[in-house]
Amino acid sequence: MAASTAAARGARAPARTAGHRWHRLDRTVSPYLYLSPFFVVFGVFGLFPMLYTGYVSFTAWRADRPGSEGQWVGLENYRKLLDDPFFWNAVKNTLGIGVLATVPQLLLALGLAHLLNYRMRGRTLMRLGVLLPNVTSVAAVTLIFVQLFGRDFGMVNWFLSLFGVDHIDWQAGTLSSWSAIAAIVTWRWTGYNALLYLAAMQSVPFELYEAAALDGASRWRQFRSITIPMLRPTILFTVIVSTIGALQLFGEPMLFSQQQDPTTGGSQHQFQTLALYSYNQFWGRFKYGYGAAISWAMFLLIVLVAVVNFLAARRMRGAE
Amino acid sequence: MPVSLPRTGPRGRLLATSALLVLALTAVTSCSSSGGSSSADEDPNAKVTLTVNLFSDFGYADLYKEYEQAHPNVTIKENRADMGAHHQNLHAHLLAGSGTADIEAIEIGQVAGFQPEAGKFLNFLDNGVSKDQWVPSKTAPASSPDGKVLFGLGTDMGGMALCYRSDLFQAAGLPTDREAVAALMKDWPSYLAAGKQFLANSPNKDARWFDSGGNLFSAILAQAPQGVYDADGKVVVTSNPAVKQSFDLVAGAIKDGESAGIQAFTPAWDTGFQKSQFATVACPAWMSYEFKANPPTDGGKWDIARIPGGGGNWGGSYLSVPKSGKHTKAAAELAKWLTAPEQEARLFKEKGYFPSDQALWTQPDIAEHTDPLFNNAPTGKIFSQSARDLNPQPLGAHGAEIGTALGNALTSVEQGKADPDGAWKQALKDVDNIVN
Amino acid sequence: MTTPALPRRRRAKSTRQLTAGRGVYVVLGVAVLLSLFPLYWTLVAASRSNTEIHRMPPVLLPGGRLWHNITQVFAQTDLRLAMVNSLIVATTVTVSVVLTSTLGGFAFAKLRFRGRGPLLASVVATMMVPTQLGIIPLYIMMANWFHWADHLQALIVPAAANAFGLFFMRQYLIGAVPDELLDAGRMDGCTTRGLVWHVVLPAARPAMSVLGMLTFMAAWNDFYWPKVVMTQQNPTVQLTLSELASGYIKDYSLVLTGALVASAPVLVAFLLMGRQIIDGIMQGATKG
Repeated sequence: MAASTAAARGARAPARTAGHRWHRLDRTVSPYLYLSPFFVVFGVFGLFPMLYTGYVSFTAWRADRPGSEGQWVGLENYRKLLDDPFFWNAVKNTLGIGVLATVPQLLLALGLAHLLNYRMRGRTLMRLGVLLPNVTSVAAVTLIFVQLFGRDFGMVNWFLSLFGVDHIDWQAGTLSSWSAIAAIVTWRWTGYNALLYLAAMQSVPFELYEAAALDGASRWRQFRSITIPMLRPTILFTVIVSTIGALQLFGEPMLFSQQQDPTTGGSQHQFQTLALYSYNQFWGRFKYGYGAAISWAMFLLIVLVAVVNFLAARRMRGAE
Repeated sequence: MPVSLPRTGPRGRLLATSALLVLALTAVTSCSSSGGSSSADEDPNAKVTLTVNLFSDFGYADLYKEYEQAHPNVTIKENRADMGAHHQNLHAHLLAGSGTADIEAIEIGQVAGFQPEAGKFLNFLDNGVSKDQWVPSKTAPASSPDGKVLFGLGTDMGGMALCYRSDLFQAAGLPTDREAVAALMKDWPSYLAAGKQFLANSPNKDARWFDSGGNLFSAILAQAPQGVYDADGKVVVTSNPAVKQSFDLVAGAIKDGESAGIQAFTPAWDTGFQKSQFATVACPAWMSYEFKANPPTDGGKWDIARIPGGGGNWGGSYLSVPKSGKHTKAAAELAKWLTAPEQEARLFKEKGYFPSDQALWTQPDIAEHTDPLFNNAPTGKIFSQSARDLNPQPLGAHGAEIGTALGNALTSVEQGKADPDGAWKQALKDVDNIVN
Repeated sequence: MTTPALPRRRRAKSTRQLTAGRGVYVVLGVAVLLSLFPLYWTLVAASRSNTEIHRMPPVLLPGGRLWHNITQVFAQTDLRLAMVNSLIVATTVTVSVVLTSTLGGFAFAKLRFRGRGPLLASVVATMMVPTQLGIIPLYIMMANWFHWADHLQALIVPAAANAFGLFFMRQYLIGAVPDELLDAGRMDGCTTRGLVWHVVLPAARPAMSVLGMLTFMAAWNDFYWPKVVMTQQNPTVQLTLSELASGYIKDYSLVLTGALVASAPVLVAFLLMGRQIIDGIMQGATKG
């Protein structure tokens, strides 16, 4: 802030020319000054570690093997990754849970937003109600859901038993554990996304609906051919943001696990996500180099999925 | 702590111990100038908060209070994590050189993994401790390979027994008397056969024979001469037939529906005790806290008998003082006090943790101790016998993690996720990932 | 994302606002119920004993042990230290993020300077980078270089500014501060700092409070990085919660009491400021 203080002091100076110079300096320097905190923090704690991770991923560094730091192995870690069944299993789990956690969530949010858009009493209360789960923490929510999804005494199984469904061991199965974790994510984020959609819906001009109604379009037809297309930018945004979030799932699968080692993600790794696997390798097995390679692979996967989402959305637009 | 204390009864020994403690303390402070570590300059009366990181309940709460009363400048704070996370964190924090607590517990299955890092711990041999307090099989794993550093003070050991619900046994027509139970279940196949009988005849259809396959597997394998490591430190999961045999035995029992399939050390396990979801548990001495904390809500009673197969050790721990801690001297004093014979004896009599301190095994108040929690069973006799019978298995760096992987495989059989063969193959892949 | 930033109130009038029928109320009621139930049930569990909450069929009404359980949780865990730590971290991070975001957002929204486009693009791009990507070096930096591991600054400094906040404030300030006002200020001889003080900060206040709430909640709820860099000797609330789950206390009524107590501050803040938060999220949405 020193420079801007100096600039301010200069501005008050009587000499016009000096004032002018200060003003010019102020206008050229201030923007960078204001942006510097972010870029300094990001540079030191974001960009640098990220690049350093890239470097580490090319080394054989294991914290429990002295001298392995900086031992260059080229692409060896990545080659090992391709042959690692646990890595591919984690990719599968991450994508699977990702789909289960985002698709129903966003569809539900869309429907919810549509309903919230009606004129009604207690509007704010309803909105508060659906948003409330979003402010609770991953750790608290997962603890709660572990209990709700308990095999013998869980509320969910009790509820299902009313309909004659046998007790489900939610942690045991691939699909069941994915669903339970997806349910945690969905519960926390549906309301938030619904509010985003609601905001976008409210910016759709009423005249469009009036015209469509005059043409005899049904409500459903109006929803499909007016609301959805008008919401496309928001939908694209939420799809990308939720996908990125889902691909980074860590706390939910970790705390959902009831194994001795929670980083294994279930008895058969059935819900070990990429974030969990990289943590397992880095923190539990001290494989810094290999863990770094997993982190980068995970980042590439995120970028890939985001690009695919983006292109798919563009094609959707092209098709119409 | 020298073990050659005159055994003159509790009070005399306490005095002698305190005197020695004071001596040790003054000896330590008088040469503090030569010590390089910053904590060597500590004022022994300065206020300190000692942090103690454990991975389960060690039953220390009352002892802390007593220690704090005797040392008004000391405040003790205990933290606990689950076993896997606790040791992972300790490793990582040792490597990083920060983040360790003043006292860190280490479990025997994990201790070999810390041998290469023996230099990062306080050497108790330089701090007035004699190895003679324990049997060599307890001190060797917590020493540097050359034996010059002792970085862990033995706390308890996991002599094994079989805990059983006598009320459920009676209802199912099984014997309830300890000797009769032990006679009926001399080995594991006869134990599992009795389980089938129990399942067929028990009126309580919610109760299974044992809690979890992983637990039973740990108990069975603990009796083999070799576990997952051989004496040269090689992983022998595939070449040691005892591993696969134990695995298959348990997997078969799971297939027969004998397992309640409840993961040990989880909240569901506690609930299982309370809700009588299983009739037997292979129980090392340290598991007593679990029984104490979770009495059956239906008023059922636990009893305790000799373990099928006889002998074996499962678990037991050490206390260590990492050099990166803030108050290493004060921590060492506390660790020594907690593992001193008086406290060890108290922990057994009050909480059930069987001492690894060998002199105590013959001490009458230990050897003849009976436990009201288990229908006044002679737990002193059972556990000291099992401790004397112990044939220690070779240990290795990743023993506990490999055990967890094999336990997970059995869990997947319980969950119906995998058949025994598939689960075994999966476990081998896990082992490979752990070792390499 | 590309919707023009019209003032919301005026726009709302011209949108379709059908009056809700009974069906809408019913469906929304169920949705709200589903949203609230897990939290309600946590309250039920926190006010009962472990055996009571493992009854079948389950108990659905609160019991009388809430206070007992709360004192137990505080007696048996470090929740008090954890809450103080979390409060310090979340507050510091919030103040810092709101300030840096407002200044930076203002620069992006209203100031012309070389490299604005690429810099803005880079800010947006960084929102895609997962925390995990830098975690290993970040931990090494904290533990071995700065010796900050297990100290609160290890949580505060890396979180002191973030891309989301910057972008959020930029989007808001584009519409909230008219260019004419800035030009007039310049004519009067205001420096940039003067403009920030007299024009930008007053205009940005509503968005700042929303960003503040969102940042506070995110900082309070953060799990992954604290899990790596902090220890149980100096925990945050989320760490203590995760320890609760892993064997420290296996009495589930106490575990859920912990979850309740740990969530209480954010829940209270949410109930007090819920309306502004909703508005903030919705405004951010249409301008994003």
